[in-house]
Amino acid sequence: MKTIHIQTSIDDHRVAKLAAFAIALHMVEAIIPSPLPGVKPGIANIVTLYVLYQYGFATAAWVSILRVFASSLLLGLFLSPTFALGLSGAICSLCILWLATHLPKKWFGPVSLSILAAFAHIGGQLLMVRLWLIPHAGVAYLVPIFAVAALFFGCINGLITAKLLAKDSH
Amino acid sequence: MLNLRHSLKRLNPKLLTKYLFIGDWLIVIASLIGVFFLFQTLWSNESAAKVQITVGDKIYATYSLNQQREIHIHGKLGDTVISISQGKARFAKSPCHTQYCVHQGWLTHAGQAAICLPNQVSLELLGETKPYDSLNY
Amino acid sequence: MRYLLIPLLLLLTSCFKEPLYHSQSYVFGTLVDISIYGESDELARQHADHILQDFQSLHNRFHAWKPISATQLSELGELNAAFQAGKQVPISPDLASILADATTLSVKSNGLFNPAIGQLIGTWGFQHDEFSPIDIDDAKIQALVKAKPAMTDIVIKGKIAYSTNPAVKLDLGGYAKGYALDIAAAYLRQQHVKDALINIGGNIIALGQHGDKPWRVGIQHPRSPTAIATLDLADGWAIGTSGDYQRYFMLNGKRYCHIIDPRTGYPTQHTQAVTVLVPPSKNSGVLSDVTSKPIFIESPENRLKTAQAFGIENFMVIDAQSNIFVSKQMAQKLHWVTTGVKFTTLP
Repeated sequence: MKTIHIQTSIDDHRVAKLAAFAIALHMVEAIIPSPLPGVKPGIANIVTLYVLYQYGFATAAWVSILRVFASSLLLGLFLSPTFALGLSGAICSLCILWLATHLPKKWFGPVSLSILAAFAHIGGQLLMVRLWLIPHAGVAYLVPIFAVAALFFGCINGLITAKLLAKDSH
Repeated sequence: MLNLRHSLKRLNPKLLTKYLFIGDWLIVIASLIGVFFLFQTLWSNESAAKVQITVGDKIYATYSLNQQREIHIHGKLGDTVISISQGKARFAKSPCHTQYCVHQGWLTHAGQAAICLPNQVSLELLGETKPYDSLNY
Repeated sequence: MRYLLIPLLLLLTSCFKEPLYHSQSYVFGTLVDISIYGESDELARQHADHILQDFQSLHNRFHAWKPISATQLSELGELNAAFQAGKQVPISPDLASILADATTLSVKSNGLFNPAIGQLIGTWGFQHDEFSPIDIDDAKIQALVKAKPAMTDIVIKGKIAYSTNPAVKLDLGGYAKGYALDIAAAYLRQQHVKDALINIGGNIIALGQHGDKPWRVGIQHPRSPTAIATLDLADGWAIGTSGDYQRYFMLNGKRYCHIIDPRTGYPTQHTQAVTVLVPPSKNSGVLSDVTSKPIFIESPENRLKTAQAFGIENFMVIDAQSNIFVSKQMAQKLHWVTTGVKFTTLP
């Protein structure tokens, strides 16, 4: 028997740990029933945001993408439509977050980033739905509902992140 | 490290002033306005969601277009059959002589209408706002 | 988050019901659609019912082929019977003034608008609620054209009318709906109803506006069940369309519509639809009904002249090849429903 040894850095361990935490939150959320299919608080994004502030964009991107892949594997949804939606949402929100990190820190805190990321997340998902899953203009009807949810949960997740960051800095 | 439950419990309005910077407020307000306009535009000009069937002077019924269905209606001359299928509706069968109503084909957009004068049955696709008040023909 | 929800709810609940009454009925052998804005539902319904009763009575009196009962002809039927027999017949004052007005308009149109060709219309099978392709009897059609029935053949002296030509048979199909519009508009004005929109079988007249916006009407696409364009109808304006899709039959792949050229006796086949927009006047309803016919029938090169003869500045023509021609004034008022509509602007 042969054992393969992979050199892992402290960074790798940190990414793994944080991703595991995000995956756990994702799982919790997958179990909680949602009043409207597709409307979810997205609490795993708190981890992404927190990591972004503490360890930088690259680590946050790793954590976010790992979370999408691993949780879909765990839920048995790998390469399913749900996985595709999650991935497109995650990529879009990462793109926006990368842009948002260039906003002046003095004026824009975690809440801004969280809201923007939430809009991007839902935007990416809806785009996928429209282009691939339901090629029907009826999707437009759902956009405002998702936007309200994104704004609402984006705010809350942002506030939680802000609170966590404040606590850590003490 | 991440004591989430504790944080959620402590989430109260005071947090808003503590953790929201001026830019955050701007983003919140801009988002609110954006969401409002999303509602206004997407919930008013959507492609038709319902079909209203009128028989004689009375509104007979309103049906969702998101279904597969045939509706049989007894009009002045006889039975008219209306088909509903995935966002559209049409006269499928009519007892009238000219069959103009059947030739109209599928109606797909809010505001579109088809009338069968002889059997006094009409279809109109409804949207949140009508594109016009009345049709000149 | 409470702070977030309150303004959102306020924004969402800001839409409430508007004071618009709407009724739809089958009178006049067609669909009558009445909208009244800003009145109580109860009052609006009373007004609408009154208008519908007026329409029903006009319909019964002036119907071109339907008798009131098996033994009693309609008022117009009596007149036609007397004209054919060369007899004198008593005529009611309002019908006399209708015929006088129709005669003036017929002369102005060089006889292209001709309500005296009832026999031709009947020969083509259009004087039935239900009609089917006919065997075209060319000899009969030629004879009817040769007989030259004209509005000017009718003589009205006081309360008596007669025709100098037995071929005259009146069919007010191209006049009555417009006349009814004018009557309804006058009635609503007299009742101090400010804002209303009346649609009789596609001919529309506007009073006031729809709340803080003008009334908006759609113009039917001649070949698909949708509007081709919309336009705002200001207070007192009327709009009418003559189309080959309203009453027609298909025979050997050819379309025969109810708009017959009195010069040839055959249905006009070079045009799909003519829409005219008429500015406010006492008889804007009548003009919206009548003036689209001669423009429809006239050969393409003379259309503009015909429109000018009636002072019609706003009109649109869609020919048999689906080419769209729009007068300069009309082009500014139309909002095309789809983008990229190609049309020619007439001077």
